[in-house]
Amino acid sequence: MTAYLAHYLVMVGIYAILAVSLNLLIGYSGIFSLAHAAIYGIGAYASALAALKLGLGFWGGLVVAAGVGAFASALVAIPSLRVAGDYYVVASFGLRVVVLAVCMNWTDLTNGHAGRPGIPRPNVFGWVIDEPFEYVILSVAFAALTYAVCWRLTNSAFGRVLQAIRDDEIAAQAMGKNVMQVKIVVACISSALGAMAGSLYAHYITYINPSSFALHESIFIASLVILGGSERLAGPIVGAFVLLAIPEALKFLAIPDTVAAPLRQVIYGALLVAFMLLRPEGLLGRARAQVRDGR
Amino acid sequence: MAAEAATQRAAGSTPILAVRGLARAFGGIRAVDECTFDVRPGLITGLIGPNGAGKTTVFNLITGFLKADRGSILLRGTELLGLPPHEVERRGVVRTFQHLRLWSKMTVLENVLLGCATPMGESVFSLFLRTAAVRAEDTRARERAMEVLEFFGLAGRRHQLAEDLAYPEQKLLSMARIFATDAPVMLLDEPASGLDGESLRRIVPLVRRLVAHGKTVLLIEHNMELIAELSDVVVFLHQGRVLAAGAPAAITRDPALTEIYFGV
Amino acid sequence: MLGLPLALAVAGAIVAAAGSGLLIDRFIYQPLERRGALRTTLFIASLGLLILIENLLAIVFKPDPLRLEVGRLADAVRIGPVYLTWLHLVSVATAAFAYLGLMAFLKYSRWGQAMRAVSSSPEMARTVGIDLRRVHLLTYAVGSAISAPAGILLAMDVGADPYRGTTYVLLASVAVIMGGIGSIPGALLGALFLALLENLGVWKIASEWQSTISFGAFLIFIVLRPRGIFGRKIQSAEI
Repeated sequence: MTAYLAHYLVMVGIYAILAVSLNLLIGYSGIFSLAHAAIYGIGAYASALAALKLGLGFWGGLVVAAGVGAFASALVAIPSLRVAGDYYVVASFGLRVVVLAVCMNWTDLTNGHAGRPGIPRPNVFGWVIDEPFEYVILSVAFAALTYAVCWRLTNSAFGRVLQAIRDDEIAAQAMGKNVMQVKIVVACISSALGAMAGSLYAHYITYINPSSFALHESIFIASLVILGGSERLAGPIVGAFVLLAIPEALKFLAIPDTVAAPLRQVIYGALLVAFMLLRPEGLLGRARAQVRDGR
Repeated sequence: MAAEAATQRAAGSTPILAVRGLARAFGGIRAVDECTFDVRPGLITGLIGPNGAGKTTVFNLITGFLKADRGSILLRGTELLGLPPHEVERRGVVRTFQHLRLWSKMTVLENVLLGCATPMGESVFSLFLRTAAVRAEDTRARERAMEVLEFFGLAGRRHQLAEDLAYPEQKLLSMARIFATDAPVMLLDEPASGLDGESLRRIVPLVRRLVAHGKTVLLIEHNMELIAELSDVVVFLHQGRVLAAGAPAAITRDPALTEIYFGV
Repeated sequence: MLGLPLALAVAGAIVAAAGSGLLIDRFIYQPLERRGALRTTLFIASLGLLILIENLLAIVFKPDPLRLEVGRLADAVRIGPVYLTWLHLVSVATAAFAYLGLMAFLKYSRWGQAMRAVSSSPEMARTVGIDLRRVHLLTYAVGSAISAPAGILLAMDVGADPYRGTTYVLLASVAVIMGGIGSIPGALLGALFLALLENLGVWKIASEWQSTISFGAFLIFIVLRPRGIFGRKIQSAEI
């Protein structure tokens, strides 16, 4: 039972990193990105390949993952953010599709469908992490680090600028803020963190394959943010705890496997719709009459 | 009297903002056409004209929100044409909006803080690596923000959300935040619209105090009396062209211009 | 499954699609809009619906791909040096019919004109007495109805499974953006352009990279001409 709980906590940690970093975009900057699963996957693959092909350890893989993630994000953000925010949604959606195609088809690099096994365990100054409990510590530590980084970002002049951009971009420009630049920076940071989560995942499962980039993964991460509450930094963390518990709860009911997976998704879909109708600000958000986009 | 003296003063000094031959068309319509006028330092210049004359378009062109087809906008000799809005602000021109555009979900203090200079706090690099310096900068910014709020009489409301303020105070806030930027040229888009009674009466001395602090003001207004009382120089715009520029008394009493203004 | 003749099945599909569109708009989108929901909220609700419906279909109908009986339509037809199947011809004919029908509807029918009025200015439309809610419902019904034949043709051509829809929606969105949002001729051109691009690309590049080609084209387009071919100039917000 404890190994089971440990797995749950490790995944909560990883998803917390993903959700909190995505919230930088969705909640604080007003940029809705569907590409986070792609970034997650890029991080996982980059880290895995760095370990398998270049012989870099966990830490090297982490740095590579963050770098590649930030770069990919900038590549998409720079053209898309010049135009209306809606375009970014489509572009981020497209990025995910492209990343999936690359993973499936660039078989020399990624081994396609079959994925890559044999990723080494993380090695922290000689302490090899291979017990479930040790992973929990690693995962939680990184989640705390991510939270601290995001906290520093949002509770600062930079954070004020982000919120100003979200509330009224035109006014921010008139007051001398270089909105494009700020958005790109935030996208890169968010992606670097998300890619790190991917790296953690790769070294935890020690095996990766393209299934991590399903669209549903992107929507799942977004729902952690939205349902948990995008106004508070801690909202997505609560979202992670709750939403990851649902499949575990479902396991207690005797449902045939073929139905279990889509059923879980049906529940997610229904939850999303229900929350938008009944409590759009999420679990941790402040109930407030929403204001129509003044655009 | 004071206005005429000011205009005489004006005749001598070089303009801080020189708009030359500005033009901008939308489809077939020439919203702004061969627009030329000066804004002299330390004076209040009023931009008036009938509806649709192109006044707000001129503001948008000067501040870079619209790209001009032709012309030149010189701020102390530096060309502003073609610069994006944030660069225009960096060079020294700020503006308010007719629809205010306050950051409604942020507090009064935060709205003004965004105008105070916090380059280190806004740089991710400095934020993580120079925490002491960032903290010092933040303290200075807050002090400055409080000064500005006191100046505008908003200090008591500093922790309220901008959307919770009464309209006259929201107008004050929109001026307060651009004042905090220290930019020498302030473009005010209808500062008095929507105000009446006490708050309307307070606009004139407030704008005069801005000038006393060394600012140059270019404002758009529909209220003829207000313009006449407040401005040192008036520029009359019609169908995108400058028809006349000079002392307010002369322009507001000119029968031909009044006819155009009221469309009689 | 039910063994009904094709014509009835097609009609049924169109009705089902239109009906779903109506229900979704009536019970989810319109209530959200009435509450002043943010655009993001609407978008997430639509994502939730996407997942919900896709997976419901998977549970009810099994997630394996479904291939419709095509019968005679698979026979080849020769036009000059090119070999096509009847199915291809039917697809093109359907598209032409849908396009022309829609354009005619928008131009000549009362409801179509009402839709255009609401699109250009909702406030004005309301003042001349147009019922915005009905027009909104109609728009969703018509849009959903038109997508039904596409689904059927796809099911005949490459097969269908509950999850395939998302890819096509992405392609459609890209086509709409490239053609210019708000322009139906633009959407048609955008779709043709995209289809040409993908298939020409396949000729030279391996077929797995098809989606990359579309996405790449999209990025290039938004850099060079964000408003698309026929779109209105993208105005920055009212200042």
